[in-house]
Amino acid sequence: MPFQRPIVLLLLGLLLAAGWWRLRPEPGPLQETRLLMGTTVTIEADGLPRDRLTVAAAAAFAEIARIEALMSSHLPGSDVARLSAATGEAVVAPETAAVIARGLEVAARSGGAFDLTLGQLKELWGIEGEAPHIPTAGEIAAALAGTGPEALTVTGTLVRKRAPRLAVDLGGIAKGYAADRALAVLRKHGVTSAAVNAGGDIALLGSKQGRPWRIGVQHPRRAGEVLTTVAAIDRAVVTSGDYQRYFERGGRRYHHLFDPQSGYPADRCQGVTVIAPEAMLADALATALFVLGPERGLELLRGYPEVDALIVAADGRLHATPALAGALPEPP
Amino acid sequence: MKFLLQRMTLTDRLVVLVLLLAGLGGSVWVAAAPPGRRVVVSDGIHVLFSAPLDVPRQVDLAGPLGATRLVIGADGARITASPCALKACMGMGPAHRPGDLLACLPNRILVEIEGEHEASVPYDLLSR
Repeated sequence: MPFQRPIVLLLLGLLLAAGWWRLRPEPGPLQETRLLMGTTVTIEADGLPRDRLTVAAAAAFAEIARIEALMSSHLPGSDVARLSAATGEAVVAPETAAVIARGLEVAARSGGAFDLTLGQLKELWGIEGEAPHIPTAGEIAAALAGTGPEALTVTGTLVRKRAPRLAVDLGGIAKGYAADRALAVLRKHGVTSAAVNAGGDIALLGSKQGRPWRIGVQHPRRAGEVLTTVAAIDRAVVTSGDYQRYFERGGRRYHHLFDPQSGYPADRCQGVTVIAPEAMLADALATALFVLGPERGLELLRGYPEVDALIVAADGRLHATPALAGALPEPP
Repeated sequence: MKFLLQRMTLTDRLVVLVLLLAGLGGSVWVAAAPPGRRVVVSDGIHVLFSAPLDVPRQVDLAGPLGATRLVIGADGARITASPCALKACMGMGPAHRPGDLLACLPNRILVEIEGEHEASVPYDLLSR
């Protein structure tokens, strides 16, 4: 009987194919990025077959787009745009009302450092637009007229404005809410490990391959460098800094985080990172702490025992809640 | 197996050995070698451009405001010219690590570096 070359070669081929199949790299977690809510939104998800992860991520992005359509101040027809255009009151979606109510709560507890009613002021400065400029003192005073924690009241889905020209801006809370909702959608689809990063507002689901997620905190003055790294599971991490959106005139930096008292960019911090159970709360508190500064900011957090923060003061000194003290980098 | 070996000529055995070694070696190489990093540009939905990160080039990417210039060089991919007002995308510097992003929101240009993540990077996500 002659040597059965075709059969042996076929068996050899099958053996090699099986070996390659076993040795080929496993596909890592799904990672996709979209431009939504005026920023980049990246979803990383794991724990399911790739096709189910793709479906889950698509649903999560759709959820963020839905929230953007409700809460963007730039989209005509959004709840926020209708509310700003209304002279007195407007009925909004239940979740828009809930987000506004949550924002008003943080506004009240922070003594107005977090403010949902700075729409006109932000428009005036134009820092996120095509032509940013420094307004006059009179223009700033006019834009601040009628603003503050009492400027809005929510009753069910009815939102009332104290002043007819008041412009509502949910920029300091809606991204966080969207990240929370996207995470909820991923969870509903059976995803067990995920991160939603909406322009630095990060919401985390579970752990990453059995260990805590490691979140790098951007150094506020050294682009591309990380100030420190924090570990988190099932938490949200949000950073607000004066380096994110700004312009410079005469050697001074004018950024997008405004002090509602002065109408000018807040100047007590370079950056604030908040770790909280949900991104919506972390988002609002990061802005509030940035405006308040380290001392008053940490004082505010005594009322939020589930929240931690790392604050880089305007002079570069670091402050943190006790749980994060270990994450502070060594002084140079 | 012994029966089979007895039936094989020396050339047969050499052919089988070479095939086995080449096949197994190739499989290990495929498994071990990191895939090349790529620059992928999209408008957030559709891919507009894709290229290896290790081949220097310059490309003008069309967006709603005009052309955003992307340069791929030794230090990675960077945006060197943009029709947007703030030029924040130009200030982002180079992107070279897998997962790095550059974005020009007004001109709807999103630049991503794709490839295997580096084990040496001490974080999974960056909060900024």
